[in-house]
Parts: sequence; C-alpha cells; structure tokens
Amino acid sequence: MTAFDTAERRRATDARPVITELIDEATIQSIAEQAWISLVGEEEVLVPLPAELPADVLSSWVDVVGPWTGSVVLTTGRRTAEELSRALLRDSAPPVLDEEDVVDAFGEIANVVGGSIKATLPGHSALSLPSVGASPEVRNASDVCRIDLLWRGEPVAISVQGALPALPSSPDPHHPADPDRSTYENEVPL
Amino acid sequence: MRALVIDDSRAMRRIVSSILTGFGYEVRDAGHGGEALEVLNEGWVPDLATIDWNMPVMDGLQFVSAVRANPAWRSMTMMMVTSESEHTQIVRALAAGAHEYVIKPFTADAIRDKLALLGLLPQEVVL
Amino acid sequence: MTLTATSFDWVRQVVHRESAIVLAPGKEYLVEARLLPIARQMGLADVGQLVDNVRTRPSPENTRRIVEALTTNETSWFRDGDPFTALTTTVLPALLAARGAGERLQIWSAACSSGQEAYTIAMLLEDAMPNAAGRVSITATDLSREMVERTRAGRFSQLEVNRGLPASMLVRHFTRAGSEWEVNASLRRMVTATECNLAAPLPRMGPFDVVYLRNVLIYFDLPTKQAILRRVRSLMRPDGWLFLGAAETTLGVDDSWERVVLGRSSAYRPLKGA
Repeated sequence: MTAFDTAERRRATDARPVITELIDEATIQSIAEQAWISLVGEEEVLVPLPAELPADVLSSWVDVVGPWTGSVVLTTGRRTAEELSRALLRDSAPPVLDEEDVVDAFGEIANVVGGSIKATLPGHSALSLPSVGASPEVRNASDVCRIDLLWRGEPVAISVQGALPALPSSPDPHHPADPDRSTYENEVPL
Repeated sequence: MRALVIDDSRAMRRIVSSILTGFGYEVRDAGHGGEALEVLNEGWVPDLATIDWNMPVMDGLQFVSAVRANPAWRSMTMMMVTSESEHTQIVRALAAGAHEYVIKPFTADAIRDKLALLGLLPQEVVL
Repeated sequence: MTLTATSFDWVRQVVHRESAIVLAPGKEYLVEARLLPIARQMGLADVGQLVDNVRTRPSPENTRRIVEALTTNETSWFRDGDPFTALTTTVLPALLAARGAGERLQIWSAACSSGQEAYTIAMLLEDAMPNAAGRVSITATDLSREMVERTRAGRFSQLEVNRGLPASMLVRHFTRAGSEWEVNASLRRMVTATECNLAAPLPRMGPFDVVYLRNVLIYFDLPTKQAILRRVRSLMRPDGWLFLGAAETTLGVDDSWERVVLGRSSAYRPLKGA
C-alpha cells in the first residue's frame, strides 16, 4: 500500500486531519529560522540540506493537544545540542555545561518552535512544557512533516509528528502502533 | 529601575535578564508565578515584570490575575514574554491585565522597542 | 563560496562608511546569506556578481539595499515614534481644518520597505481619527518590486510584528495567516503601493499633504539629495509637511524649506515663493 492510498482512505473514513494538510516544510523552515535568530544569535543561518544525524542524538519536544495532536520534535547530535545550549546562554554559559543546562536550553528551543507551529494550526490547542530525551516514536508515517537543516555544518531535524497511530482501516506497515512503548516512557528523567 | 523576570527556563531567564541588565535594570528572577509572588510579598516590587505563560505551579496568566487583585502592586508594568502566539491568547492576556506582549521568538531590539513604548527605557539607548 | 576577499572587503567598507557598523572578518557567511536574495532578485547568479555589478555601476539604491540587508533585521513600527505622534496631534488636525469637508488628504510613505511606516500611519488614523480616516489615502513607494509586493500583501513575520508594535494594535489590526500576521483589509484599502525610484524623475502622483521621507537622503550625495528634495516638493501641496529621519535635515542642502519643531520631532514645510 502506498502512502497516497493510506491518506486517501483515511480521509474517506475520518475527519481527523494529518499534519501535512495543516503545515508545509517552508513554514516550518521559516519558523525555525526566526527561532534561531532570536535564541541562538541574530546572525545564525539554517541551511535546508539533509545530512545524516550522528549515532548519539538528543531530542527536545513539546506536545500540542487540540484539533491536531502530536509533538514538535527537534533532534540533533548530543554535542550539537550542547553547542546550541551554549549559544543560547551566551555570556552566562558556565565553563562546563551540566545536563540540566542542556535540558533547559535545548528544551526552550523546542518550546519556542512548538509555540509558533501551534499558532499556525486551526482552532485552539494547548502546549505542554518541553521534554528532552530520546525522540517520541513516529506513530503514523503519513502524519509527519519533517525538515532537515544544517546549523554550523551540523544536522538538525525538526519533525512535526502526530501522536496517534494510523486508524485501523489504514494500517501503516512501517510503523506499527506499539502499545508497550508510549511517548513518555522514552523521556529521560530530568 | 527594577525588573522581575519570570520564566521556567533558566536559559530564557538569563537571556531576558541580560537584555534588561544592559538597559540598566536591577534584575531578579523567578521560575514560576508562585516564586514571583513570594518576591513581591517580600516587598521587592519591580517597575517591570516579564512573564512567561506556560510554567509549572502557577502559570503566567494566573500570576497576572493575582497581581491585578492586589492594589499595592498596581504600579508594576506586566509584559508577557511567551511562545503563546495565537491572536486569542494575546487578547486573553491583555484582558487579564497584562500591559504588553512579546512573542517568542524575539530579539533584544524587540524588548527595547516595547520598553520604549511603555516609557520604561531608563537609559537613552542609541539605535 | 562565491565571495572573494576583495568583494568582502568592499562590502565591509561600504557598510562601515554608510552605517558606521563594522563587519568583522569571518562574517562572509552572513554577507552571503543576507545578500543572496538581493542578487537573485536582480537576476544575478551570486553575491560575487552583485558586488561586481554595484562596484562597476555605482547606484545609491542598490548600496542602500546592501547596507540595509546587513544592518537591519526588521523595521520597527513606531520607529522614532515622535513623527507619528505629531501626525495625529498637530499635522492632520491643521490640514483637515484648512481643507473643505469633502476634500481628500494624501500621505506619501517614500522608500516604504515592507510597509511598516504606511500601515503605522493607517493604524493611527483608524484609532485616533476614525472619522477622518475615510478621507485619507496613503501612497507607499519603494524602488524594489519585492518590497512593493510585500507592502501590498500586508503580511509580516512574527519577528516583524514584535518590533515596536503595541500588542493592543496587533490584536486590533491584524489576523494570523499561517506563521505570519496579516494587516486587516480596512487598512490595506487605505494604502496603495507602487514602484518608484526617487533618484529619477518621479511618476505623476499626489499632490501630497504629508510626506514621510525618512532615512533615505543619507545614502545619496549632495546633488542627488538636492534633486530629490526638489522633486518631492513639486509633488507637495504648498502647505504640506515633510518628515525626514532623525539624523537628516534640509539645512545646508536645500534652503527652500522651513523647519518646524513639533514636540520632540521636527518637520519641514515648503517656503512660500522659494
């Protein structure tokens, strides 16, 4: 079954929107650029080029609950997450960043990007406080809008992904819903 | 001039604090609305409070309402600084008593411009 | 990387001369990122070609765009608020009193960039003088077609609406449009945007009662400043008002203007018989 078939069938059976009907890559890119200018530095540039993420990655995300429910997830190499946190803290960065500094600063970037993305969605939605850890799983491959960027030469991925599995009428063979692994069990304790 | 920076993110508190310090403010900070009320109850009532919306324990909107309920704190200007950026949310915050609203992401220039509008830029900052 | 060391040095010198801002070595990537859209818009392949083009055919307009792209991220709404305060407290009441009841007033926002100045004026009119707003039309002009189109669209990014626009005005005059904010239709109807090169003979416009020509003259040499002021005056009503940028003046440039102090700002009016 192709993704196209899945989307068609879903639309026929359910009014629940998927994210690709609500936002496009260009909008996420412009939201990310503005967040970077504001938080990371006024001269920071994000280049829209895909690149392989390193093995040791860290994610930060916020959940959006409303007419569309899901997460806005930033994923990058652990060292890049630290570099981002250092850039955020600027002069007030301690010589050695502890885990809490990274969780806090990297989480705040997800909060700002997520807030802007939430505002583009129809109706009213609520935003969770940010989480940092291993990325929540993609539950429904057709309910994802993802961009890949380079910041200072390092890959950063931003994924806006639905929290709900595909409906039974349109199972997604690549990402079966796994009831034993909820989003929050992946979270690293703060 | 004094400012109280209220945000659950330490990084964001540092960013906002350093901007305000640059304009000559004496700054204290708080991690949520409840902590901020403790500072006010100590008698340290600032000219300006910058207020995040989504925070644990007591959120920004609850804090604004609590401040509005106490006439002794009327002189304090309340500026939301938050990633909540929907039209209806801004209206809600203004209706609850916030004086200004800065949407994250913002630049230092945005804070300066808002303070200028509010007459709260203590130093003459040259563009 | 298309930017040679010579090109980068040229950009550094120009930016320093025009804005006193120093671009540190190592900012080549910034120059690339900010100037590439300008190069593309001029039909050039890259920033290197843009620099060559402006070096061999000097153009104050293109110099201004390069400098602005590198020195300002966003234009403020109530940039130097006083010239706007003066509009509703002094200038428009005087003009409305002097004109007949059915007569329209015309305001010109010259070098309007993406339209913040024109819409600031429109918002002030709707808020402070709702009865007069229907009698006023605002013409916004810019050299750049892209800027004219942006002004027409009336759409602004989150960062742009954060710059000096009171939150109460944001919620009153804008609605969200995706990740951007869009000026309400009533304001867009007041503003007509069109291309115009101030350094060349001007199209038929006006006559204008009020002209905002701010932070433009500083980019031109003395003879061009004089020519621009002369052309602008020819499109103004004899009792019109001209607002310049805080660091600009007609004094020593063109003596056919009278400077009038308005609160903390000042305006210029055509001298009778000059």
